[in-house]
Amino acid sequence: MTETMRGGPLQGVRVVELTKVWAGPYVGKLLAFLGAEVIRVESEGSLDVTRTYGVADINNAPGFQAVNPQKLSVQIDMKTEEGIGLILALLGQSDIVIENLRPGAVKRLGLGYENVKAAKPDIVYVSMGMYGTEGPLSYQTGYAPCFAALGALSSLVGYAGGAPTGMNIRYADSTFGTAAAYAALIALLHRRRTGIGQFVDVSAVESMSSMIGDSIMDFALNGTIAACDGNLHADMAPHGAYPCANGEWISIAVISDAQWRALAEAMGKPELAAHASYATHAGRKANAAELDKLVSQWTLQGDAAGLCSQLQERGIAASRSQSSLDLVSDPHLWARGFYTQVTDQEQHTKTILGPGWKMSRPAQISDAAPRLGEHNDYVLGSILGLSAGERQRLADAGITR
Amino acid sequence: MSALRGIKTLELAETVAGEYCGKLLADFGAEVIKLEKPGCGSPTRRLGPFAPGTTGPESSGLFAYLNTNKHSVELDILSADGSATLDKLLNHVDVVIDDHPEAWLHSVGLNPETINERRPALVLCSITAFGYAPGEEQRSAEDLTVFHASGWGFHTPSAADNTQAPLKGAGRFLPSYEAGLEAALCVTAALFEREDSRLGRFIDISKQEVLASRADYVLGQMVAGDMEVSAARTAYDLHGPAGIFPCRDGYAYIWMSAPAHWDALRQLLGSPAWMESFPPHWLEQECTQKRVAQCRHHLGEWLITQAKHEVAAAAQKLGLTLVAVNNARDLGASPQYVFRKYFCEVNHPVLGPALYPTVPYKLSETPACIESCAPLLGQHTGELAALIDQDAKGATPHIGGAV
Repeated sequence: MTETMRGGPLQGVRVVELTKVWAGPYVGKLLAFLGAEVIRVESEGSLDVTRTYGVADINNAPGFQAVNPQKLSVQIDMKTEEGIGLILALLGQSDIVIENLRPGAVKRLGLGYENVKAAKPDIVYVSMGMYGTEGPLSYQTGYAPCFAALGALSSLVGYAGGAPTGMNIRYADSTFGTAAAYAALIALLHRRRTGIGQFVDVSAVESMSSMIGDSIMDFALNGTIAACDGNLHADMAPHGAYPCANGEWISIAVISDAQWRALAEAMGKPELAAHASYATHAGRKANAAELDKLVSQWTLQGDAAGLCSQLQERGIAASRSQSSLDLVSDPHLWARGFYTQVTDQEQHTKTILGPGWKMSRPAQISDAAPRLGEHNDYVLGSILGLSAGERQRLADAGITR
Repeated sequence: MSALRGIKTLELAETVAGEYCGKLLADFGAEVIKLEKPGCGSPTRRLGPFAPGTTGPESSGLFAYLNTNKHSVELDILSADGSATLDKLLNHVDVVIDDHPEAWLHSVGLNPETINERRPALVLCSITAFGYAPGEEQRSAEDLTVFHASGWGFHTPSAADNTQAPLKGAGRFLPSYEAGLEAALCVTAALFEREDSRLGRFIDISKQEVLASRADYVLGQMVAGDMEVSAARTAYDLHGPAGIFPCRDGYAYIWMSAPAHWDALRQLLGSPAWMESFPPHWLEQECTQKRVAQCRHHLGEWLITQAKHEVAAAAQKLGLTLVAVNNARDLGASPQYVFRKYFCEVNHPVLGPALYPTVPYKLSETPACIESCAPLLGQHTGELAALIDQDAKGATPHIGGAV
C-alpha cells in the first residue's frame, strides 16, 4: 500500500531512487508523474549538489525543486552499516530501484544488484552510467555535454564550415533519463507477467546516439560522415531560423513546391515561385544560401507573431523561436496545463512543468519537491514498521534525521 | 521471452515519431502491424539516407532503421472497404499508434474522446506537434518549428553569437525521436496497468511539451520564479571555459567546473606558466569573462596539437572531464560500443547487410533484439485475412498475452 492514491497507470508501484543531479532524478519524476510512489533516499553526508547549489536552504533549492516534484524523501546515512540495512529493507518492499551514482559506488556501499536481489529477488534494478556499468570505458565519467559529444550528437550541430558547437549545454540528462524510464517499465511489465525481475544497464552516451539513428544509418549504408551545415535539411528548403525586425527569430520549414509557392506569395514576390532557381526542391537546395537571404530580407520587415500568422494561414510550418520569456508566457502551454501548480509542506503553491503527455485517467500531480527527510516517518514507520522508539533511537544515533 | 511478446500493436503512424515509437516496442517483441498506403507505402520510404544504387520503396535506410521487426500490411483505410477492415482489425489489437493531426484520426473513425467507450481495453497513443488540440497558429509544423517553439532552438548553440541564426539541433528528427520515446514510455505504463484493470486509455503526446519538459532543470526554475527569464539566447547557459575545441584529428570537448578539474589539467599539461596567474578556486569563485577567454585561448593552442582519443584517455585517468567529439565512424570503432554490442548486423534484401544502431539499455532478462529487418511494402498483407478471420470463428480478442 503506498501513501496516497493519486491514480495513473503506475499507481501502487514503489520506486526508490539512489540518484544525484538530473538524469537519475528525471527517471523518478517521469515515474511519479505516471502515478508511482517515488522515494528519494538522501544521505545528509553526501547530499545532491542540486540541494545546495547557489542557496543556503537545502529545502528550497530551485534546481532540486524543478526536477523532484511529487516525490518523497527519506534521510538515511549511507555511510553506516545500519543505514545500508534500512535501505535494503526498503528495497525489499519496492518494485524498482534507480541508481546513477559514480561508477562502482553502489557496489562499494553494499547496494549493488546482487545484494539488492538477495533482499528482493524480483527487483527491477536500473543502473545508469555515462557508458553503462561494464566495459573498457565504463570507468569514465562526465556531464551532459560529454554524453552528447561522445554519442556523436554534438558533431552534427554547428555552422557550415565551422567547428561543431553542439546543442545547448543543458541537453542530454533528461533524454538519458527518459530512455532509462522506458527500459524500467519494460522490465516492470515483464515482472508483472512472469514474476521475474532484472538488471537494466543504461548508457547515457548511447542514449544520445539513439537521437540521431538515421545519421548513423547514413554512415552504415554510405560511409557518410555529416559535416556541420547550419540549418540545412535534406528534404526541406527554406529551412531555418530567420531574423525579424525586433531582434526576434522565426523558424520556417518548407517541404513542398506548393508551400514554396505560398511562401513566395506571402513574401509579396509571387514571381519567385516559378523562378527557375527555386521552383523545385532541387533548385531550392542548390540555391539555399541565396534563398535564405531572400527570406531574411522579408522576415526582417515584420515581427515574429505577425509573420507566423501569415505563414500559418497559408499552411506553411512556422513558429517563433521562443526565448525563456516567450516560453513562460506561452498561452498554449498554460491552456494545456503543461504549467501546473503544486503545494509544499507549508502550503505554499509553486508552478512546475508537467509531463510531455496528457492521458485519460491520469495521475494527480499535486505535491512540490520534498524537504530533506520529510517522509522519514512514513518510510521508517509505515513501510518498514519501525516503532516510534526505534525511530527515535535511529535519529539519535544520526542514522536518520 | 521478450517483454512485449503477444502485445499486438497497430501502427497508423507515417512519420518518424510514431514509427520510432513502434520500433521501440517491436524491438522488445511486440507484434507491430504497420498499415501502409497501397503502392507507395509510408512516406518515410521516400526519405534518405538511401543505399547506393537502389531506388523504390525498399531503398530507404531511414525506413529500414525505423521499422525493424514490424509487419507491413497494405490497406487503404480511407476507402470504405479499408475502413471496415480497420474496424475489424481494432478488435484484435492492444495498442494503436498514430502521429497524424487529430482531424485525421476522426476521419478514420477513431475519436480519442470516445474510443474507450466502444473499445474499453484499447490503448490509443497520438503523437502530434502541439498536442491533440493545437492552437490556430500551430496547425502546420515540422520538427524544426517545434524545436524552436520548445525553447531548444532559441538557446542552441550555447554561448550564442547574436549575429548568427539559432541552430536546428542534431540531425533531422530529434524532436520526433524524443516524442517517440516518450510515447513508448506511456504506452508501456498503460499496458502495465491494463494487465489488472483490462482498461485502455488515450495518450496524447505533444512534441512541444516533451521537448520543453526536457529542459525542466532550467525552465522549471524559470516558471517557478526562481531563475531570471529573458530574451537572451544565453538564458539556459552555464558560464565557464567548457566547450568544443579543434584537435589534430577532429574535436574534443572539455568540461571544467571545480578545482579538482583545474588541478588535473595542471598535471596533464605539466604546470605551464600561464596557469600560474589563475587563483586556485577561480572556476568556482572567480570565473570572470577575461579568465574564461584566457583559459580557452591556451586550451585551444594546446588541444590543436593533440589527438582526440589519446588526450581524452590521458585526461580521464587524471580525473579531468575531457572527451572526444565522436562522429558516426568513431562510434563503430569505440571499444565501449563494441563491448556493449550497440551495433547489430541486419541483412535487408535490397539494402544488403549493414550495422544498425540499436538501443541504449541492456536488459538482463529481456534484451531488445532485432529479429527481422524492416518489411517489404505489403510483405504481410496476406496475414490480414487470418487476423480478421478470428472474427468469423468468434475468437475472443487477445489481451495482454499473459503467460
